[in-house]
Amino acid sequence: MIDWSAFLIVSAASLFSAALLVSLYSLGLRLLTTAGRIPLVEPHEFTGAITVLSPKKAAKQVKRARKAAAANPLAPGLKRLALYAGYACFVLCGIAVLYGVYLIVPALHR
Amino acid sequence: MPEFSLIIVLVIALALIFDFTNGFHDTANAMATPIATGAMKPKVAVGVAAILNLVGAFLSTEVARTVSGGIIKEGDGGVLITPELIFAGLIGAIVWNLVTWLMGLPSSSSHALFGGLIGATIIGIGTQAVDYNVVAAKVILPALIAPLIAGGVALVATRLAYTITRRDVGKPDGRGGFRYAQIFSSSLVALAHGTNDAQKTMGVITLTLIAGGFQAVGSGPTFWVIAACALAIAVGTYTGGWRIIRTMGTGLTEIKPAQGFAAETSTAATILASSHLGFALSTTQVASGSVIGSGLGRRGSTIRWGMAGRIALGWVMTLPASAIMGAFAAGLALLGPIGIVLDMVIGTIVIMALFRWSRRNRVSHHTLLNDIDDAGRVVNIKKTPRRPTRRGRGDRKKVSL
Repeated sequence: MIDWSAFLIVSAASLFSAALLVSLYSLGLRLLTTAGRIPLVEPHEFTGAITVLSPKKAAKQVKRARKAAAANPLAPGLKRLALYAGYACFVLCGIAVLYGVYLIVPALHR
Repeated sequence: MPEFSLIIVLVIALALIFDFTNGFHDTANAMATPIATGAMKPKVAVGVAAILNLVGAFLSTEVARTVSGGIIKEGDGGVLITPELIFAGLIGAIVWNLVTWLMGLPSSSSHALFGGLIGATIIGIGTQAVDYNVVAAKVILPALIAPLIAGGVALVATRLAYTITRRDVGKPDGRGGFRYAQIFSSSLVALAHGTNDAQKTMGVITLTLIAGGFQAVGSGPTFWVIAACALAIAVGTYTGGWRIIRTMGTGLTEIKPAQGFAAETSTAATILASSHLGFALSTTQVASGSVIGSGLGRRGSTIRWGMAGRIALGWVMTLPASAIMGAFAAGLALLGPIGIVLDMVIGTIVIMALFRWSRRNRVSHHTLLNDIDDAGRVVNIKKTPRRPTRRGRGDRKKVSL
């Protein structure tokens, strides 16, 4: 007996949870960027995969981010709102992950 | 019956060795993408992966139940699988696992394990001893479907991540921020790996204990079994790290932080959902599927079908090949104690030879590449994809990002 519905459940659950987490986090990043707090995260260690970023280039990126933030057309209040909304997205994302872990550990809700 | 206990001890030791090779083989599943994007330092990544595998093994036992309670009909009305056969199956699995690893063939430790066990059972008892329905429903079909699910999910997730963070050309989009997210998503993959892969060994040990009459038919793994398996897979994961760290610099596939994050999230979601339902899927295949899917989610990507075909071939071959190895080992083991000793000697010789060979060739390109990296190469992404022409956007100055 092949339980086809189980496959359906797995795909639906994976799609829903992955899409939710990715959307929340991306939205958080987008809001941070909108608020003028552009996250520039440099890679820890340069591997073959990453285009090597020279210090000069990195400085240029920082400068560009600052310029973009300064040219932000939003009013200060709106900026703050976007920032807090962005943080809220990250928090929601974290809660969603914790809830997912809670769901799969039988010991927690038995 | 001291002789009987000896074989059980042997099987448990062998199962733990298999668990170790499993962790060794699979460190890359969780940690190849964050290392490739520079989200984590390689050493930190490997350590985190080991710890979370350890934790993950304690979280759920659904998969272990599938292994110990379903595939081979044991107990009343079924047949009695003997520890000798499990022993033979494990030898087949370990040897195949190491062979494929050294040849740089993508394979799945889980399929090697099931193949070995099935092969040994068919030789030892007969074709009627294997519950083909369970094999099809919980092993073969998930193996075919799960990578596809993961790939599809990763494609959607990647599109979402890029769409939501998309800004006009030249404006910083903050996508580097996905590197922070990757720390968490890859940790989740490591955790998921613990909940699925460590379980398989637990299932095998429990099956042995049931076969030896130490445990009731249909019961789950006991605490010491869980703890031992968790530890073995964690140590394997940690020692497997040197391979990844060495691979650095030889050039991994290019993966962007947003893409890596989407791929990891999809992998973790698929594995966790399947573990929850007791599907014993291959984490390597799911992770590969996600990497391919997320590559396809990027603009300007095309599939390299030759590479994809090679990976698919490796996946398809694993089950029958390790079944043949398991069957061969079982044929020897049925000769009695001499056969078992012979099995062990041959197994040890093969493992030692492979190990020697790997040390000699350790910097060769193929051994160092891992399955995930192979998967990344399936998708070809143009360096500067053309943006879709939208009114008012097409004529803007192009800035390379």
